[in-house]
Amino acid sequence: MNMVEKILARASGQREVAPGDVVVADVDTLIMHDLSAYLTGRVLENEVRKPIRYPERVLIVFDHHFSPASEERAKILQENRAFARRHGIRVFDCGSGNLHHVAIQHGYVWPGAVVVGSDSHTNIHGALGAFGTGIGNNSHAAMVMPYGKAWFRVPAAQRVWLEGDYAPGVSARDAAQYLVGLIGEGGAVYKALEFAGPVVEAASVSDRILFTLMAVDVGAKTGYVDPDEKTVAYVRQWTDRPFEVLRNDPDVAYEREWRVDVGTLAPQVACPPTIGNVHPVTEVVGTPITHAEIGGHGGGRLDDVRTLARLLEGRRVHPDVRLQVVPNSRWVFEQALKEGLVESIYRAGANWFPAGAGSNQATNMGALAPGERMISTQARNFPGRNGSPEAEIYLAAAATVAASAVKGAIADPRELVT
Amino acid sequence: MQLRGRVWKFGDDVPTDAIVPEKNLFKSFDEMATQVLATLNPVFAREVQRGDLLVAGKHFGCSSGRAVAVKALAATGIGGVVAETFARTFYRNAFEIGLPILECPGITAFADDGDVLRVDVATGEVVNESRGQTIQAPPPPAFLLEMLQAGGIIPFSERLAGG
Repeated sequence: MNMVEKILARASGQREVAPGDVVVADVDTLIMHDLSAYLTGRVLENEVRKPIRYPERVLIVFDHHFSPASEERAKILQENRAFARRHGIRVFDCGSGNLHHVAIQHGYVWPGAVVVGSDSHTNIHGALGAFGTGIGNNSHAAMVMPYGKAWFRVPAAQRVWLEGDYAPGVSARDAAQYLVGLIGEGGAVYKALEFAGPVVEAASVSDRILFTLMAVDVGAKTGYVDPDEKTVAYVRQWTDRPFEVLRNDPDVAYEREWRVDVGTLAPQVACPPTIGNVHPVTEVVGTPITHAEIGGHGGGRLDDVRTLARLLEGRRVHPDVRLQVVPNSRWVFEQALKEGLVESIYRAGANWFPAGAGSNQATNMGALAPGERMISTQARNFPGRNGSPEAEIYLAAAATVAASAVKGAIADPRELVT
Repeated sequence: MQLRGRVWKFGDDVPTDAIVPEKNLFKSFDEMATQVLATLNPVFAREVQRGDLLVAGKHFGCSSGRAVAVKALAATGIGGVVAETFARTFYRNAFEIGLPILECPGITAFADDGDVLRVDVATGEVVNESRGQTIQAPPPPAFLLEMLQAGGIIPFSERLAGG
């Protein structure tokens, strides 16, 4: 069995499971954000009407809001807090960070865990050797909350094998975006995508997260990296809880394999209207932008903040561009403070925002007017995702976002990297 | 489980953001239903009739896994959705809230706006009455059909969790 099959077998009390089997598995962690928690809470209290069996396994992170801009949204947050109090659930309030990073950094994710969330990017947690997947509000309200369980169809596995060395100015985010274009949106629907090969082995867990993040956009049920010593050391930074690591058997088979030599890749840009519309940056260089953002599920990591600071050294944000910097967590902001990055980035003309999900869906910030154009490290670019459907969103690695913020137009970071 | 209705056709990779945009997330389902898919087809929400069927391309309901997208679609009165493939969260949510859907490879070429389709969700048989043609899709897994017949995961959950 592979890692995912082993986790699902253990969590459902079976010796073995195979692709296609339906299992009812014990859930270790349920992650919700401020929008989904509200919707889920209403289903639980109005339709299901049962108590939450393991409230300590549930967390709510207010990441779409850092300070609600309307009475309506203030009430949503107020109701979330009251719901959490009624059921004994922990809330990470405004300014805590992006839900998945908050969950990781507070010890809610470990190798071998079953992690579900009412957020489609929950498969991020496969980078930590967990089984992570997004499921709907009714799954949570009808099964996870009252019984601590969820149903899953065991997915067939495909492997993405990455080899080669990145060219200067090219990083894991570029490879991840390239893969969305290669596999295609909906190209791996219901699959478990394993990321492996020398590039993945050498990658930090923070970079591995960028691969498991993109799994959802090709339709996969989950993405994962077979856990190694690096995984364990990373998780041990955040929790001392005991866990048993589950790894692939040596003889696991894959339905299909995708091979990429990352050395052949230029920086990649996902262009409107969808995340699968991926092009080498050279094809869109010079496209004027009005907004740039480091933040969101796919950015706002300490690595991204460091990259931004490095590229802004001795340069300024272009006067026509609003550069928004949104750390993924309070930890990232604290580290950036210690390293002097907060000041240097601020002095280069960027705006710092509280830790959170940033302009994701323009819930609390970052709405665009018709004709405006943003380049960001966010994870989605559908028309209307951030304000006007006539605005355009481009997605790229932190280096490309930083270079573009300096130029006032989409720029090739390789020209700035020395 | 038989459906019969007039077709509204949509393309590939329709995201849940287009079914229910974030700004409508906290409205009532009836309000959401009046703006469903408005950016892709402004006429749909206004003119959709009870029992009409939505036909779509691959990866329908991708992006956010919000179950309200399925609930808002159901609130328009449509009988169900037939697509080449669904995003897995949409697929799961549909069975969980009791909206009949069928994954049917080839459906895009098989049906056009305004055609009348008859769909047997349990057997996977799809008949285009306007064209007099039949296409066969793989039937959904038995346990999902049971969930659908039970009326969704809320009535079905005790049985699942106990099993």
